[in-house]
Amino acid sequence: MKREIFESSIGESYVKAVLPSGVTVYVFEKPQYNSCHAIYGTKYGSIDNCFSVNGGEPIKVPDGIAHYLEHKLFESEEGDAFDRFAKTGASANAFTSFDRTCYLFSCSDRVYENLEILLDFVGHPYFTEETVRKEQGIIGQEIRMYDDSPSWRVTFNMLENMYHNHPIKIDIAGTVESIAQINADLLYKCYETFYNPSNMFVCVVGNVDTERVLEICKKMIADKPKIEIERFFGSEPQSIKNPFVEQKLSVANPIFCLGFKQKITSPFRRLKSKVCVSLLLEILCGECSPLYEELINNGLINDEFSYEYFNGYNYACVMFDGESDNPKAVEKAIKDEIKRLRKNGIDKKLFSAVKCGLYGDAIRQYNSVRGICMNLTEGAVFDYDILEEIKLLKSVTLDDVYKRLDIFDDDLSVLSVVNPLE
Amino acid sequence: MSVTKFEISKGTEGLFIKNSRFKTTLVSFNFYLPLEKEKAALFALLPFVMTTCSKDYSDFRKLNFKLSKLYGAELTASAEKTGDYQLLKMSISVIGDKYALDGEVLTAEAIKLLCSLIFEPKIINGAFCESDVEREKRKAIEHIKGEFSEKRIYAKNRLISEMYKNDAYGIPKCGTVEDVEKINGKSLFAAWQEILTKAFVRVNVIADNMPNGLFDDIAERFSAVERNNITDIYNTKKTEEAKEVKIITEKSEVNQGKLVMGFSLDKEFSDPCVADSFVAADIFGGGPYSKLFSNVREKMSLCYYCSARSVRVKGLVTVESGIEAKNAEKTQEAVLEQLKMLKEGNITDDEINSSVLALSDSLNRYNDSSEGLESWYSTRIFDKQLITPEEYSEKVKAVTKDEIIKAANGIKLHTVFLLLPEDEK
Repeated sequence: MKREIFESSIGESYVKAVLPSGVTVYVFEKPQYNSCHAIYGTKYGSIDNCFSVNGGEPIKVPDGIAHYLEHKLFESEEGDAFDRFAKTGASANAFTSFDRTCYLFSCSDRVYENLEILLDFVGHPYFTEETVRKEQGIIGQEIRMYDDSPSWRVTFNMLENMYHNHPIKIDIAGTVESIAQINADLLYKCYETFYNPSNMFVCVVGNVDTERVLEICKKMIADKPKIEIERFFGSEPQSIKNPFVEQKLSVANPIFCLGFKQKITSPFRRLKSKVCVSLLLEILCGECSPLYEELINNGLINDEFSYEYFNGYNYACVMFDGESDNPKAVEKAIKDEIKRLRKNGIDKKLFSAVKCGLYGDAIRQYNSVRGICMNLTEGAVFDYDILEEIKLLKSVTLDDVYKRLDIFDDDLSVLSVVNPLE
Repeated sequence: MSVTKFEISKGTEGLFIKNSRFKTTLVSFNFYLPLEKEKAALFALLPFVMTTCSKDYSDFRKLNFKLSKLYGAELTASAEKTGDYQLLKMSISVIGDKYALDGEVLTAEAIKLLCSLIFEPKIINGAFCESDVEREKRKAIEHIKGEFSEKRIYAKNRLISEMYKNDAYGIPKCGTVEDVEKINGKSLFAAWQEILTKAFVRVNVIADNMPNGLFDDIAERFSAVERNNITDIYNTKKTEEAKEVKIITEKSEVNQGKLVMGFSLDKEFSDPCVADSFVAADIFGGGPYSKLFSNVREKMSLCYYCSARSVRVKGLVTVESGIEAKNAEKTQEAVLEQLKMLKEGNITDDEINSSVLALSDSLNRYNDSSEGLESWYSTRIFDKQLITPEEYSEKVKAVTKDEIIKAANGIKLHTVFLLLPEDEK
């Protein structure tokens, strides 16, 4: 077993171990806490819709299948996983995103029993054509619910017009039509590929004993022959599809999502990029920035305004979201401020203030077992040490951040707007 | 972990929730006022204006700079509805001094900042600064209008306003757009004076150590204010049983319909300290073990979500679901069928055990979140005796099947709100 310990000056540490089965386990002890949060995840999400195993022929699967599989894994021959957690009192859930599927529980008691249930049900798929069919009604309603969600629609409309081919543009749950093509065989095929321990991780945070967690993981996660997965995301031109897209929905105020597509140099996410871009975004339009003040005082944004660096396998973009009567004016103001920063450089006082703020935010994250667990998941998917963030926030320089301005290219921006119905 | 209550001054109390596991100190000021149609918008705007500037920080950019330099101290403002009262909250959370890189004092500075925002606002000629007020008014109006965009929230709000037409609880927590539009710097200044005079005030502190002299400082600041007609917080009117069930259907351009059902809860079970109805509502539609989840969603595949929740202080139980228009009636019947089962005692030991275990497990997790604890103690203000999440968890464990059945029989359908897609043209 390969094992490493990561530590930080703020008095936190955790263990990362790669077990003989190939699964990577992270254990973060918080002995003062009552509770525990655990995630069993796979690096498999909505973007993995075309892949090959051990150099074989590429297989294309229906959109939304990773999410469908997440729903179905809760069932087994003996009943569903919720029934088992109901006997321990844990609160269980799961989610599928673009690049991962995670099964999780929170509890304040019987943690090892819960961990065994989690590892067991994810490790034992069971579905028949009949149980697969039953799920279509439930997921169909979930899709309909998102069709009515303006914030969801505005984001996907942006991604659909930013990316030509990359599957990041596809809705995580798929469509009512695509999920109709899903059957038990396809689900098993995806399961056998992506739920191989070498593609999976376990994160446990809370009042636990590391050795006991590792023992349970060793006992419960069966060895399987290691496989090589190759993912095909299609070739993605550097250009965008359309700079503007509009949809009308039953909303009160117009909402927008402005994205800047970044040219990809590395297919993975690096922690240093995340830290530098987070600082840059704070400088550009955070609550201390001159631009934020201008946008608020001119009535162009409100407290719904947010921004994010969104990147993963072969995709990267910066997104600005908000509500505005005039999204085009917001777009112009952001682009002008980027130009101004390029020309005049970054204000030193502002840099030092936002660095201080983000440093505090990074420490604050260690208040919450759930927060730490989600963060570890991020570290597991992109293979970095989460505690490194605090160190980077101390050492990063103004110049490091200034250089990141090159992620913005005016010709690669997409403005998506959801307007009220007339 | 310990909780100590202090009488700071007339109508002002402090709660020190000692907890050494967090890296932060959290201090919140909670102002409780009766919900009144004429004043809801005015009061609701106050926390937002007061947390954007003050006498010392003339604009929000200066204030935000200060917060960043305090290592990202989190200043929050909100206006909520709890029982028949409006709860105005302003809080600050700051990381411990030991994490500061250059030995800066953070906790004391952050608390001083919060107190100054509340007691020393930026006042010009007896009024809040008009440009600050106009900016926050615009944001408040957009926020109120924005509730229409998220249909789940909209449908729930519509149910509450229909169900409580002539009752304080039916007043929107941030007032109406028309009322926000009427606000100006002078009226807001009068509102600020009024909350200092009349509101029942609770200051919650969640920290490893009680910040030095904080409650004394607050007592001194309040001594400069004439405190009278202080809000009596125990006057929430319970929901009356409906003489006739009201059904309201509204059409909108949506894909998915929303079904929201409001039930009155018998007075006997609407004391927040009584756990019977809490468990009954949970078995009805709480977790995945509940009757609504396992039957209406899992067995009948009628929806993605279908859940029940109780607001005991008001004697209210609500059920929410997202549905296909054609299944509206069927889902409604299915929900009522499950309630009937509960009332008739058609409950398995498994259902009871699952619910009790899940509720007590989650209650025992409260101590691991400072925001969770803050919200627990500020919304449970109506308990005459302080009750900790663990103590409440013990009450949950003690509930019997008979008590659950009795409480379930006190749940009666009152109003149904349906939001359905427009008919196909």
